[in-house]
Amino acid sequence: MDGLLMNKLTKPSILAAAIALACTVGTARPADISLPPDPSVLQGQELVSYACSKCHGVSGNGISISPIFPILAGQQSIYLEEQLKLLRQRYRSDPHARAFMWGISRALTDEQIQSVATYFSSLPPVTGRPSNNPALVAKGKEIYENGVPEPRKVIKCIECHGETSEGTNTVPRLAGQHPGYVALQLHYYRSKLRVNKLMNRNVQNITDDEIAAVTEYISTLTPTPSP
Amino acid sequence: MLVAQPASAIPPFARQTGLACEACHTLPPELTPFGRRFKLSGYTLTTRPPLVNDIDDHKKNTLWLTDLPGIAVLAQLNYSHYNRAPPDTGQPYPAHAQSDTYQFPDQFSLAYAGAVSDKVGAWMQLTYNGQAGSVGIDNIDIRYSDHTADNKWLWGITANNYLTFQDVWNGIGSYTIPNFNTVSLATGGVAGASTTGPILNALGPGVVAGIGAYVFYNDSLYFELSAYHSAVAGGNSPVVDSVSLAANGGALDRFAPYARIAYEYDWGYNSAEVGASGLYANWIPSASYISAQQQLAANAANAAATAPGGNGITYTPAQTFNPGAINRYTDLSVDWQYQYNGQHNIFGLLGHVTHERQQNSDQLVAATFTGASSPIYSNPTDTLTQFLITGEYFRNRHYGGLVSFTRTTGRSDPLANGGNGSPANQYETFELDYVPWLNFRLILQYDVYQVVANNQSPFNLSNSQFPNSPGFTNIKAGNNNTWVLGLWMDY
Repeated sequence: MDGLLMNKLTKPSILAAAIALACTVGTARPADISLPPDPSVLQGQELVSYACSKCHGVSGNGISISPIFPILAGQQSIYLEEQLKLLRQRYRSDPHARAFMWGISRALTDEQIQSVATYFSSLPPVTGRPSNNPALVAKGKEIYENGVPEPRKVIKCIECHGETSEGTNTVPRLAGQHPGYVALQLHYYRSKLRVNKLMNRNVQNITDDEIAAVTEYISTLTPTPSP
Repeated sequence: MLVAQPASAIPPFARQTGLACEACHTLPPELTPFGRRFKLSGYTLTTRPPLVNDIDDHKKNTLWLTDLPGIAVLAQLNYSHYNRAPPDTGQPYPAHAQSDTYQFPDQFSLAYAGAVSDKVGAWMQLTYNGQAGSVGIDNIDIRYSDHTADNKWLWGITANNYLTFQDVWNGIGSYTIPNFNTVSLATGGVAGASTTGPILNALGPGVVAGIGAYVFYNDSLYFELSAYHSAVAGGNSPVVDSVSLAANGGALDRFAPYARIAYEYDWGYNSAEVGASGLYANWIPSASYISAQQQLAANAANAAATAPGGNGITYTPAQTFNPGAINRYTDLSVDWQYQYNGQHNIFGLLGHVTHERQQNSDQLVAATFTGASSPIYSNPTDTLTQFLITGEYFRNRHYGGLVSFTRTTGRSDPLANGGNGSPANQYETFELDYVPWLNFRLILQYDVYQVVANNQSPFNLSNSQFPNSPGFTNIKAGNNNTWVLGLWMDY
């Protein structure tokens, strides 16, 4: 009995169990022990299809339907990688980060995070959508390009996010993003539910009306290709 | 028959996926588009690494166990206060009727919920039912599911014991909203009134089991074909006899086919669905049956006791009445659901219309009756149409409520329904909810009745049936109005 048991344990199961254990403490698995049904070894598109696509675009196109979830198609790779790591370590702790991404990212390896970020960043970004409120868009454009002057002082978005809000490195692409999603993030930054010292300071005095305007403007933008 | 109400959200799913309840539910048990996909995918999405994993020589996964099984504890309590105490039904001695009841618990369940492998998942629930006073098998749904790499096509097989439990929309079936309801759409609860309803809502745990196949295309078009068979709790005999029929009010004869089609369209924070379903069921109702053998014995006994003790009845061969009198039900339904699942606000508008045609067995209809006891239907064919519409609103998943209207009409059948024979009922449900934590919900509900079918309410029965309440003549439907204070929790 013992012999049989030991014999079985020395076969792949013990290896798999050991790998599983290693995975739980955050060590990357050897790439050649790939078991397709095991989400902890899926990479890139497979992983997106298995998990991410359920919210961020069911066909894997990175274009979410509900504004609760951001559009990720064409997002900056470095930004995505950084955010996934912040979510995995639970540093980013706004309500939706807790509700959705803490769990989803909890067992991701650095390799997986990189492959997912690369996958989404390689997708064609969305084009801006027409707005039926040109006055609001004009007001948003003014805030985006010039900020809000003293004494409230909201820094102009264009300075970091770029002329067509294509973003760069750790600065996210916002062009064409769901206005509802961007608005919620601005509320989170303003209330410090989402922590980023720069953004917390930049938008600490922004009003709800200004958030509505600038997010409406951002949603109409079509970004230029990433440098 | 008593159909337990299905449990709502299941924390093991949250533990397995790492997602909070709001990923799958607006408020449990109503599903979001994500929740629908999770269920149709066989409850298999997991972000939990395995503790035990085995593979075969082809590197195919043969075992996948996480550190803890997905076990849930669910409890539902309710305190119900009726508009007035029901009449004293104590026979032969007087009883004491109160105007309230405390179900503690109304339901208490242990359940396994979650992935069994990478493509198979299950929901298996054991429930103590306060009204039945016993523990029994409750809802079970075991699924296999797979999909194409681009997620365009998702398909699956479900084996379950509750027709409509497998459904993922909430306008119809076991997860119809309102869900915390002492008045089951199928039959009665603890409240004063119970209501007539289509057989579609009544084929639940302990009565039937079925298997079905489904496909979901492009996250929008759903098609399912299922077949249900009688699966009476407490026996494994293919023979349906009077005892097993009496236990559940009847049984299915052979397989009952069920087809379901639905179309969902999601945009922004919105999700809209319209669907249709059809059920054809051969149902053997519980009745006073006598077999040929019993008939011979009875005739012999009657002949032997010609005077005292003899009942004077001599059965003829034509009156032989075996279990096997079959009513044929055809249920056709249309359902719809609109859901707005915003950052702070949730709206819903959902409901259904079900039309039922019930072709009664000649053996049980008055005009063609050949049975031993007495006929139980006046009409060869009865009909029933149930309409339900619910509107709901919740703020920040903390506060909210709903208003629901249900109306059932149908062909009058005095033998089946008593009194004037109408199966009609009409009532509204008003509900306020306070949800301090997503797995702990307080419910205040008021059910208001305008019409209750004659034999469904203690208040509608004739005075002669209440010898201990001689003055009891008030048969207003409003007597059934009920306040319910409920608590639902799980962990």
